[in-house]
Amino acid sequence: MSLFRIFINQLDEDDLEMASSKKVITREEWEKKLNAVKLRKEDMNTLVMNFLVTEGFVEAADKFQRESGTKPEIDLSTITDRMAVKKAVQNGHVEDAIEKVNDLNPEILDTNPELFFHLQQQRLIELIRHGKIEEALEFAQEELAPRGEENQSFLQELEKTVALLVFEDASNCPVKDLLDISHRLKTASEVNAAILTSQSHEKDPKLPSLLKMLIWAQNQLDEKAVYPHINDLSTAQLQDPSE
Amino acid sequence: MTSLPMTASSDNGRRNENDETSVAVNRRDPIVHFLDKIRLSATKLGDAMEDDNEGEESPTELNTINSAGGFLIVSPDKLSVKYTNTNLHGYDVGVAQANKPAPFKCLTYYFEIFVKDAGAKGKVAIGFTKEGFIMRRQPGWEVNSCGYHGDDGNIYRGKGTGEAFGPTYTTGDTVGGGIDYASQEFFFTKNGAFVGKIPKDIKGHLFPTVAVHSQNEEVSVNFGKEKFVFDVKGYETSARNKQEMAIEKVSIPPNIGYGLVKTYLLHYGYEETLNAFNLATKTTVPPILIAQENVVDEDDSSYDLHQRKTLRKLVRSGDIDAALANLQDWYPQIVQDDTSVVCFLLHCQKFIEFVRVGKLAEGVEFGRLELAKFVGLTEFQDIIEDCFALLVYSKPEESPVGYFLEDSQRELVADAVNAAILSTNPDKKDVSHLHSHLEILLRQLTVCCLERRSMNGDQGETFRLHHVLNNSTRR
Repeated sequence: MSLFRIFINQLDEDDLEMASSKKVITREEWEKKLNAVKLRKEDMNTLVMNFLVTEGFVEAADKFQRESGTKPEIDLSTITDRMAVKKAVQNGHVEDAIEKVNDLNPEILDTNPELFFHLQQQRLIELIRHGKIEEALEFAQEELAPRGEENQSFLQELEKTVALLVFEDASNCPVKDLLDISHRLKTASEVNAAILTSQSHEKDPKLPSLLKMLIWAQNQLDEKAVYPHINDLSTAQLQDPSE
Repeated sequence: MTSLPMTASSDNGRRNENDETSVAVNRRDPIVHFLDKIRLSATKLGDAMEDDNEGEESPTELNTINSAGGFLIVSPDKLSVKYTNTNLHGYDVGVAQANKPAPFKCLTYYFEIFVKDAGAKGKVAIGFTKEGFIMRRQPGWEVNSCGYHGDDGNIYRGKGTGEAFGPTYTTGDTVGGGIDYASQEFFFTKNGAFVGKIPKDIKGHLFPTVAVHSQNEEVSVNFGKEKFVFDVKGYETSARNKQEMAIEKVSIPPNIGYGLVKTYLLHYGYEETLNAFNLATKTTVPPILIAQENVVDEDDSSYDLHQRKTLRKLVRSGDIDAALANLQDWYPQIVQDDTSVVCFLLHCQKFIEFVRVGKLAEGVEFGRLELAKFVGLTEFQDIIEDCFALLVYSKPEESPVGYFLEDSQRELVADAVNAAILSTNPDKKDVSHLHSHLEILLRQLTVCCLERRSMNGDQGETFRLHHVLNNSTRR
């Protein structure tokens, strides 16, 4: 069966190849189609509000509500709390962040052991960064080791983190990435996403997905037609097919 | 009617050097598309219904009129068939099509059959056929049809010989047939398990079809009234996820979203939001870097930002007189022609504001004085009539023209004023600046999706921003 199927599929592809006279759509025709699209301003505003809210721009979201009449999808005060947690992690105040998350909703860390482990790991990293070796060891043994016993991947992470202690110059060792600011940001965005999820909100704004979808849709249409493209998202300039 | 503006204020000198084009642009008032936006608001109700499966009908029962009546009996509920003859040759198959073709403005179509009795030879088939199908032939034997046959488990597509496809099926089995419009494939299932798929090379309307072809064969059909054995929702979800994953893999420049939001705020003159946004992006750790191109464009779209913001605020608060007075001071060229689209929209809005606060008598007086001149102009006719209709209702906000009283109407008029001011910018490159970048990108996305869909015979789901925005907030 399989050989025959492959043969059939092959035939189909050949047929397609032969019939690959792509439809050509001129700029004029295309612009006509573009102008015929019915876009509602409210929808555009909703998209922008969704971006501001999800990315945590509480002031801007508040102003935008006043300037455009767009209702935010969640209570703006929850953004302030979420951003406070995020900022605390970004600044290395992990203990503070954990407390804030628990104030917000204790279920977030209870139901999310991986997130909790990552926060504790970040706490350990901060202790090491500040040279508090004894405190770091104590914390690793008391708080992190028991979790490592429960979960193999946690244990590996823990070992990797403790390895920072072994190197005299931690900034130049194989696990130095853990000390990088980007690791804080990674942990911060993990907490941010978990809080959003707990508020039954999507963790990512819709705008970037729509932009990806645009590129994807253009690629898909490329298989069947030649038409004006937008290649540079930031300028949104329409390029003629030949360019 | 007043003539076209002869001269504009001094900062507009550049445009007058090129009188020809300036006149041409003015004749096709670029603000005119805001009128269509009002018409779009008017269709809001109809549109919401359209969203619901696009009003397509689905098959509900078997067609008793054109089935091969001589060889089979369709049950009174029109949901099962039985072969009552003894089959003698290939032209006495008992075939029944659904009463309606499969709907196609969706991701998939699916139906199931249950083999009550495989009869003497078990020559049951499930498939899809076109309207004029010869109802005495097995689906798949003739061109423009396809069928999954129970006796050999083969798939037939347009020929008398089949291709190995899946397992055979018989008494007690539930078999399903589906169309995946996104991938343009037929797929079949047996007892809830996916059997396989083949490319769909048949265009146009397709009817779900069953066939029986040996004595006492009996099959019942489920067009969705009963729960399907196969998890078709799960199939759709995984198809969607597959597509979403493919989209997620596309790489876009980092922080591109920030840049687009910024130009959007600039474009529409949301100055306070912009300031708050700028401040916040600068103080994050690490600060968000916005691509260079946007910074260059900023000069262009920050044109008269403060004036635009002020006018938006006035229009949005319903203070049309103040908005008009400011326009007169700052941009006399915009209000010089008192039958321009912007003037029309502002005067309409003033009338609407009278209605809003219940000052109907004043509204009527104002209407006679200031709106009467628009009545004879075809481009405004329908809108002005709808506007006056507000007077008819005791509760205008609940009437069919209630959209005029919504916040979105004020926003729309504010947008028109904003666009008119932007078009006075002597440095603007072309009319495409009427739209924000974000809007241009979303238009491009919509047209790409529509075009691709139209090349598939308009099959599959349509892309609608409104849908995308409102669907996933539930999750």
